[in-house]
Amino acid sequence: MEVRFKLNGKEEEVTTEPYLRLIDLLRDYFNLTGTKEGCGVGECGACTVLMNGRAVNSCLVLAAQANDSEIVTIEGIAEGEVLSSLQKNFLTYGAVQCGFCTPGMVLSASALLDQNPNPTEEEIKDAIAGNLCRCTGYKQIIEAVKETAKETIE
Amino acid sequence: MMPPLGILFPKDLNEALNALALNQENVHIIAGGTDVIPGLNQESNRFKNTRLLIDINKMPEVKGINVGTEKISIGAAETFSDILQNEVVQKKLPLLWKSAGTIGSVQIRNRATLAGNFVNNAPCADSVPVLLVYNATVEIESLSSKREIFLNDFLSAPYKTKLNKDEIVTRINIPIPSKKFTGDFYKLGRRRAVAISRITLAMLISLNDNMIDEIRIASGAVTPIGTRFFDLEKFAKGKKIEDQFLKELSKMLGEQIIQVTGLRWSSEYKLPVVQQMFYQLLKGIERGSL
Repeated sequence: MEVRFKLNGKEEEVTTEPYLRLIDLLRDYFNLTGTKEGCGVGECGACTVLMNGRAVNSCLVLAAQANDSEIVTIEGIAEGEVLSSLQKNFLTYGAVQCGFCTPGMVLSASALLDQNPNPTEEEIKDAIAGNLCRCTGYKQIIEAVKETAKETIE
Repeated sequence: MMPPLGILFPKDLNEALNALALNQENVHIIAGGTDVIPGLNQESNRFKNTRLLIDINKMPEVKGINVGTEKISIGAAETFSDILQNEVVQKKLPLLWKSAGTIGSVQIRNRATLAGNFVNNAPCADSVPVLLVYNATVEIESLSSKREIFLNDFLSAPYKTKLNKDEIVTRINIPIPSKKFTGDFYKLGRRRAVAISRITLAMLISLNDNMIDEIRIASGAVTPIGTRFFDLEKFAKGKKIEDQFLKELSKMLGEQIIQVTGLRWSSEYKLPVVQQMFYQLLKGIERGSL
């Protein structure tokens, strides 16, 4: 079936099987492999993308359901080679170790900051509660999000 | 791996009901799909005959949170995030608002719907005890009929409901409780987020001069399906809110839950926890609750 959507700012039109998951379309057809598959059941958040500005697990969405929507993956967060301030702060604060959770973390955090530019620590924790990280212990990630909010407000 | 299947996006209820009438045996209705899609991908037995999905998101009949003077009507395709962003729900149905915030993660709440939470009648559905104490009703339509029944009657047995194969749940209607009601909701999971509930309790109470005018009590996860405790509610009516009575009521609730569920390996832990949780909810009335 035909799926038309906006992907990282660009209009796309693809023919796909109706049962294909969004994550498979992104990784296998568009080669956007920044979106990771961890658990495949919506527990780990490694496959998080933005759908109409909201963070969703792309393993729980069918490609066909993304028709007429706007999808942003981690590849759409940087401007070419220039990292977003959130990405820069992830590096500065040591919020990246093995890196598997990072794309999902960045997308969950950027969805939060878009809706709520000055979040409390509790709100940050709630926003990334659906993203598991087995390396950092989360502290550095929370610091990076806090710093980005601070910079944006200044 | 996802099994091969088709998907339809009906533009209105009539189109969906017609499709359903033709394909009853192997069709599954989805909105968010947060339960069905991973189930299909894991080749779960629950969906082994599914050949067709009907996505209801484009149908106007199942959209919107409509606020009336006596009830709030929530469309079957409204997500938990939609509910959390609704200030009227927060104010008028605080228990529903609170339970919506305990469901899954942000990513799940952005897709998962209130109707999807109860329509497969899993015992651990977080919003069910809350909807039960609010006396919520379910609007159901087929090509030939339209009916509205209490959620309490809709939920018949674990993973079974009164929904016929040619029917679709279109809306959940929740009477707005009068201002004299206060109440609370509590969820116990193994961690705070993305947790399957072990115990959920919801309670609504109205007092008249320190006497219980009306109390509504419901449990989830710890009973085979979401359960109201009508006998206990009747027993408590007219009683004074005194510490001794609250303790007695909590003890009785625990005993009734064991009666419904039977003794299990976990009872030794869950029985005192449920009693203490309920006692704390009751004690919360003095602090003003929600």
